[in-house]
Amino acid sequence: MSVSDWNEAAGELNAIVASFDEGEVSVDDLFTKLERATAIIESLEERLALTKAKVDELTPRIARVIDDE
Amino acid sequence: MVLNTDVDQPILEVGEFYQLLTAHLEAGFGRRRPHWVRGEIAKVYEKGHVYVDLVDAGTASSDTKRPVLNAHCWATPWAPLKRRLAAEGVTLKAGMVVSFYGYVDVYAPQGKIGFSITEIDVEGLLGDVARRRQELIARLAAEGLLDVNKRLGLSAVPLRVGLVASPGTEGYNDFTGQLLNSAFSFAITLVKTVVQGDAAPRQIAAALAALDEYGVDVICVVRGGGSKGDLVCFDDEQVARAIASSSTPVFTGIGHTGDESVADLVAHTRAITPTKLGEEVVALVARWYETNVQAPAQRILEASDDVVEEATAYLAERRRTMIFAVRDRLRGEERHLASTRQRLVIQSGHLLASATQMLASNRQLLAAYDPARRLAQGWSVVTDSKGAVVKSLADIASGDDVRVLVSDGTFGARVGETKESE
Repeated sequence: MSVSDWNEAAGELNAIVASFDEGEVSVDDLFTKLERATAIIESLEERLALTKAKVDELTPRIARVIDDE
Repeated sequence: MVLNTDVDQPILEVGEFYQLLTAHLEAGFGRRRPHWVRGEIAKVYEKGHVYVDLVDAGTASSDTKRPVLNAHCWATPWAPLKRRLAAEGVTLKAGMVVSFYGYVDVYAPQGKIGFSITEIDVEGLLGDVARRRQELIARLAAEGLLDVNKRLGLSAVPLRVGLVASPGTEGYNDFTGQLLNSAFSFAITLVKTVVQGDAAPRQIAAALAALDEYGVDVICVVRGGGSKGDLVCFDDEQVARAIASSSTPVFTGIGHTGDESVADLVAHTRAITPTKLGEEVVALVARWYETNVQAPAQRILEASDDVVEEATAYLAERRRTMIFAVRDRLRGEERHLASTRQRLVIQSGHLLASATQMLASNRQLLAAYDPARRLAQGWSVVTDSKGAVVKSLADIASGDDVRVLVSDGTFGARVGETKESE
């Protein structure tokens, strides 16, 4: 699953968690919903890891600006 | 025409006349006896020796009858006097009121009666210089010129620096060293000038005007430490007015701590030394850089970290929540199934017990009808030759062979007479 919009995906994930919290998930739906939630989490994590990597790459460059005197 | 002459007086040759004159003068003033004479310099000329025309202070040059004293100082006494004056930043100029110490001197070859200077009242001259300086400051203040350059706005990033200095001097090196060793790319536009001596004020003023015209963010006038005499050009009115009329902020870094020139007073910003001035210009850019580049970069970095941390925490929490939610849901189902299973087991047990009990009861009932028990009581069962139980006389006839079942076995028999029950 690709996540085009973080907030949209997070919203769907939150809805799935809420449905669990409220006990709305039937056994038949459980696997489907868990599978979907897992896919969203993995996709978001993958996206976050990419973002982290980019941040890590840029941080020293920004830090150089900060350290320059 | 009658000449009123004293016939007793001899006629003197010119030389004799000067000898007599000299004798009279020496009788009156004393031979080489020094006197103090004060006056205003009307004219000064130096060529090894120095020649000064001294007049009464305040008299107009148009007054053709004003007395003039032709004073001179020979090269030998002049050299140390000149050094002292230079050290204090004093140059003999027309208009100065000065006291000379010396003696009457008759120089017959040129027919001059003059005054040979042996000493100058330097303290008095300094007072005069100081007074002139104060008068200049007062004039500039009255014209509002002391603050005019200070009111100019500074460029946010003064990287284009106009420099009025003498290359290779300590002041120049100190100032440019600060800029070139900084982290910033200053563009320095230098206009070379001498920074001491009579030519300095004109050159400095011209350099200020040229840089103002050229267009820079700030003009820096730089000169390292020196004697008061070295720095006197920065008290010059020409320099002060050039700074005041500049449309570019002028910074000064002149001399060393304690020196304050008129140029410093008129300038936008004054540093106590060229080094300090360099530091100050670098600091201006550094402050801008810090505010407009470093601080935003820091905020971006922190905000970026915050977003990543927040997103990481969010996903970790969602992951945990999902795991727990699914586990809870599955446990719930497991508990439900286990409970159902348990109920089924219990119910089955009950049913089984009940059935067992029923069976036992039935077995008991059936036991009452057990043929063996009847046989043991002496009852017997008769079957015909085909094995069928003889239940009625109609099932047999006399002479038929039958078989009789008793409690412990069978035996054969033959039907005799038959007789119906009554």
